[in-house]
Amino acid sequence: MAMLHRALIPACPFPHPFPAARVRVIVSPMPVLRGKTTVVDSRIRCMANPRRVQMVAKQIRRELSHMLLTDKVLQYAVLPEASLGADRYLSSLTTITDVQVSADLQVVKVFVSVFGDERGKQVAIAGLKSKAKYVRTQLGKRVKLRLTPEIRFIEDDSFEKGSRVIAILDKIKNDESQDKEKVDSSAHEEEEDDDDDDWDGEDPDQGIIYVE
Amino acid sequence: MAKPIPKMGSRKNGRIGSRKHTRKIPKGVIHVQASFNNTIVTVTDVQGRVISWSSAGTCGFKGTRRGTPFAAQTAAGSAIRTVTDQGMQRAEVMIKGPGLGRDAALRAIRRSGILLNFIRDVTPMPHNGCRSPKKRRV
Repeated sequence: MAMLHRALIPACPFPHPFPAARVRVIVSPMPVLRGKTTVVDSRIRCMANPRRVQMVAKQIRRELSHMLLTDKVLQYAVLPEASLGADRYLSSLTTITDVQVSADLQVVKVFVSVFGDERGKQVAIAGLKSKAKYVRTQLGKRVKLRLTPEIRFIEDDSFEKGSRVIAILDKIKNDESQDKEKVDSSAHEEEEDDDDDDWDGEDPDQGIIYVE
Repeated sequence: MAKPIPKMGSRKNGRIGSRKHTRKIPKGVIHVQASFNNTIVTVTDVQGRVISWSSAGTCGFKGTRRGTPFAAQTAAGSAIRTVTDQGMQRAEVMIKGPGLGRDAALRAIRRSGILLNFIRDVTPMPHNGCRSPKKRRV
């Protein structure tokens, strides 16, 4: 539990008035799973407590989600037709699914998932990437960190892939159950046609390609 | 939204609350409230009278798992299953709040075969009204 004394380390680039941000100097050779300062190649690298990294990630996620909901600039970047007034009837919906912060709190990877057609997705991601600097400024004002991290937006398509897999599985299950019903009685052919119509009817509306 | 349901008949027929909902509604509104810790999916008719609802908590998830997208998806599926039996084909979706449930519930609704008319975002936004809680310090 060695407190950092300013006289000991002359060139620490991070002055820290808050007692919560304690930088530990490891004296014993035993590895301790806590924040530590290592001297590597005569540079000092400070790593934060992993628990604190999680807390910062959660806070950044809250702030970014709030910004995406309320900030006009971001909304116009993601959904250009909002500037014309069509902001209540959306063509695409952007959600922040995950925020990963590096161990030294300098780089933040924000995973964004967009619901909508292909063009809407590209527009949303391009808009967000162009506003990365603005988002960094705003984040610096809202979250009080020593150094505001660099923000990178990454598209997250795991939701869509998972949704497609579940849709295929459901279709297989429906087909199997309908085959069973066919064996039982032959009066269920109308339902299959209705299901096919539903699948086909959705495509021109939504434009998402289902694997059929 | 408390619009009074028009009373059919007099009170001799029994209380309105015990009437079975056998009305067929082809068009409805699905409200999805997606907070960080939970997702609540409510299906109402066009005027706002609730038909059925479901949430991640009532689907059996507890604690931190209620906030996951999979829980949102099961909640949406469970809410819609009750309603497709009553014959709803088209729906409008109103999304409230940040949270993973927004995306996951929307995709589940799309997968279930209900036609989506519109997607609206109705997160309550004050015109600078009440003072918000203080900022968390990290």
